[in-house]
Amino acid sequence: MKTNEGSKKLVLDAGIYSGEAVKLAAFVFSDKADIRIVPRGKVLEVSISAEDAGRASGGSEGQNSSSIMPLLGAEFMNEVLNQQCRIDLAKKNSKIAGIIVTKALLSAAGEK
Amino acid sequence: MAQKQAAKKTDKSMALPSKRSPAGKTAKSRSVLPQALWRKIGANYLLTNDSGHYAWLKEKDFALVTAGKMTERDPLFGELAAKGFVRNRLDFNDLASKWKKKNSYLYYGPSLHILVLTLRCNHKCLYCQSAAGGAGAKHTDMTAEIARKSVDLAFNSPNPAITIEFQGGEPLLNWEVLKSAAAYARKKAKITGKELQLALVSNFSLMNAEKAEFLLRHEVSICTSLDGPRALHDKNRVCASGSSYADTVKWIKYFQARHEKQVPEYRVFKPSALLTVSRYSLRSHKEIVDEYVRLGLEDIFIRPLAPIGYAKRLWDTIGYDAKDFAAFYFKSLDYILKLNKRGVVIKEKMAAMMLDKIVNFRDPGYLDARCPCGAAIGQLAYNYNGDIYTCDEGRMVGWEGDDLFRIGNVFKDGYKKLMTCPTTKVCVVSSNLEAQPACARCAYKPYCGVCPVYNYETQGSLWGNMPANDRCGLFKGIFDALFTLLRDPGKAAILKKWVAK
Amino acid sequence: MKKQANKTISIRVSLKDRNLDAVRYAAYAVSDAAYVFVRSAGKGAVTVEFTPKNGSPAKDLSRRFQEELADEKIRAAIFDSNRDLREFMILKALAYEETPAAAKSDDSGLTPEQESELDALIAQVESEIKKESTGGKTKDPLGITRTWEEKYGAKTSRKKN
Repeated sequence: MKTNEGSKKLVLDAGIYSGEAVKLAAFVFSDKADIRIVPRGKVLEVSISAEDAGRASGGSEGQNSSSIMPLLGAEFMNEVLNQQCRIDLAKKNSKIAGIIVTKALLSAAGEK
Repeated sequence: MAQKQAAKKTDKSMALPSKRSPAGKTAKSRSVLPQALWRKIGANYLLTNDSGHYAWLKEKDFALVTAGKMTERDPLFGELAAKGFVRNRLDFNDLASKWKKKNSYLYYGPSLHILVLTLRCNHKCLYCQSAAGGAGAKHTDMTAEIARKSVDLAFNSPNPAITIEFQGGEPLLNWEVLKSAAAYARKKAKITGKELQLALVSNFSLMNAEKAEFLLRHEVSICTSLDGPRALHDKNRVCASGSSYADTVKWIKYFQARHEKQVPEYRVFKPSALLTVSRYSLRSHKEIVDEYVRLGLEDIFIRPLAPIGYAKRLWDTIGYDAKDFAAFYFKSLDYILKLNKRGVVIKEKMAAMMLDKIVNFRDPGYLDARCPCGAAIGQLAYNYNGDIYTCDEGRMVGWEGDDLFRIGNVFKDGYKKLMTCPTTKVCVVSSNLEAQPACARCAYKPYCGVCPVYNYETQGSLWGNMPANDRCGLFKGIFDALFTLLRDPGKAAILKKWVAK
Repeated sequence: MKKQANKTISIRVSLKDRNLDAVRYAAYAVSDAAYVFVRSAGKGAVTVEFTPKNGSPAKDLSRRFQEELADEKIRAAIFDSNRDLREFMILKALAYEETPAAAKSDDSGLTPEQESELDALIAQVESEIKKESTGGKTKDPLGITRTWEEKYGAKTSRKKN
């Protein structure tokens, strides 16, 4: 294990943060950190580990991971919330969103 | 009784009348708010709706309106009803017409086709987003065959009017291909009947009379960069020969003089200039505007920097945040309006484009601020090697080693494949403001747009994360400035004159 | 990690009269200035924790969050009551066709030559009818054999159907 490798564990309420939102956020963070998601009943256990924690959180390479990993975890949670809000909106707005996208793509392709 | 029933019908039925349905007879009847968006600016609320109407409300009026307690007796009622903010007074035809006009790009394919004739350049601008290489890198010149194939593809767009824009690097470094592509495109336009505009974006360092004559004869509109007075311009736009400024000014004046002396054989367009705001520009708004005025330029396009390409690498030196840009923009716009009051003819292009939507409910053709964004479906960027990207910014990301925004190649892929490929679809979906949590609630949604490339480069995903997105902050700053200035009758009169047709 | 518990603010929100979506969005709206974490606070409530970024004042975060919560409540009500209407309006806008301005003059759809030919034909027929009906001294108390023009004077144009 490298000296600046870090890891952080988070426990999320599955009733507040959906598995889908967590997975989407994990994908967004996939170039910054390794993220593992383990569902355990009503919670989701998320482990975040970064080979270079300093660079992963936008700091400098080799920065002390013990001060950076919590920041990375916090940024990850903001991204989970971002994805969750997107999912929440889709439940209400998907019809209108779909109408506009369909029209735009059909017109561009030369269809009516 | 019949009128009350008509009013009730709008609440529940999908089979809604196409004409205005009058409110109930009683003056005390309440008016429920149809879908509306709002933003608190200072002590007041700006209300907007899908069609693009807007209204200002004091806090107490906002509370009344959103609670559905405003009555016909209220002095604001008439204005709100006329603007589509009273549910049982909706003029569906009017609102539909305005929505359609403002979103008319939804009915057409890509209008802008950028041909990157070469990556070679004799400048090293600090903020270069075009991946410009040195003047010796001839392998990055587009061949005549690729240029022709690119033009062919551009003409496949179902849009009845297209613009082919020659860019680079410095496109004049690949002059022979530029000439053949321009001539070929004009020929094709005659055969197909498609409306064609040709445009050139150049630093002018390689311009001469012969080239100028060709460009003018083929009705190529000319655009360059002007970042302000000499010292500022040259600081941003580093040139191998020493000063970029001298050539820029020389040829602006040349093309202006040619515009003044129109000839019957072809139209000569006024030359235009673009401003790219770097950190060095932020304290010089007056000097920059004055430089444009001094040169007789009637438009100034105040463009913010994006952390893509070279700019990304130098962001710590030349970058700034949304607040800084918003302050610069407001000061610049205010100064421009003061000049207008004194009779100076100068308008800000970003403002004019946004005002076209706000005041005229019209689509100004600004690909960066529409829903969905213009990636692929509004514009295409044809790289020197025949690769096709969703936009020039997407091509930049490709230059950095990530081909996510590459959607095809002129030799292998037909037009329809470009429009139906997964990248095109995902750019459209991710830039749909109806699916963005913050944008769907934002008062500026009827006039705004997001950039999946910017989101990807700065936040790691095409969707981005709007509360922390600096581009969102920039646009909010621009809209805040415009709507605030529109509240002043004198300033509003000038702003509206900019977009009067 | 250095604990920054003194900077993190926690706000308990009841879910009695607002739904979780609204709380999540209100928290999200403030995430430009804070790191946000939402956890369950027993039945029917959640706790939202804000850890300010870059020295943002905590008081501001709380105020902004409460304002967003209030806005979300209004938005939810407006959205729910307008969902169908909005879908209708967008579909209508997409399908909208500008109708040409109404013609200022009546338009029969005929060219001027065709119009005068038709006039001549009608005049001929009217005259024949007249000859047949009045030649034999037949009475016409109801004015059936009188032409429109004889009855009412002005010639009317033929409107397009």
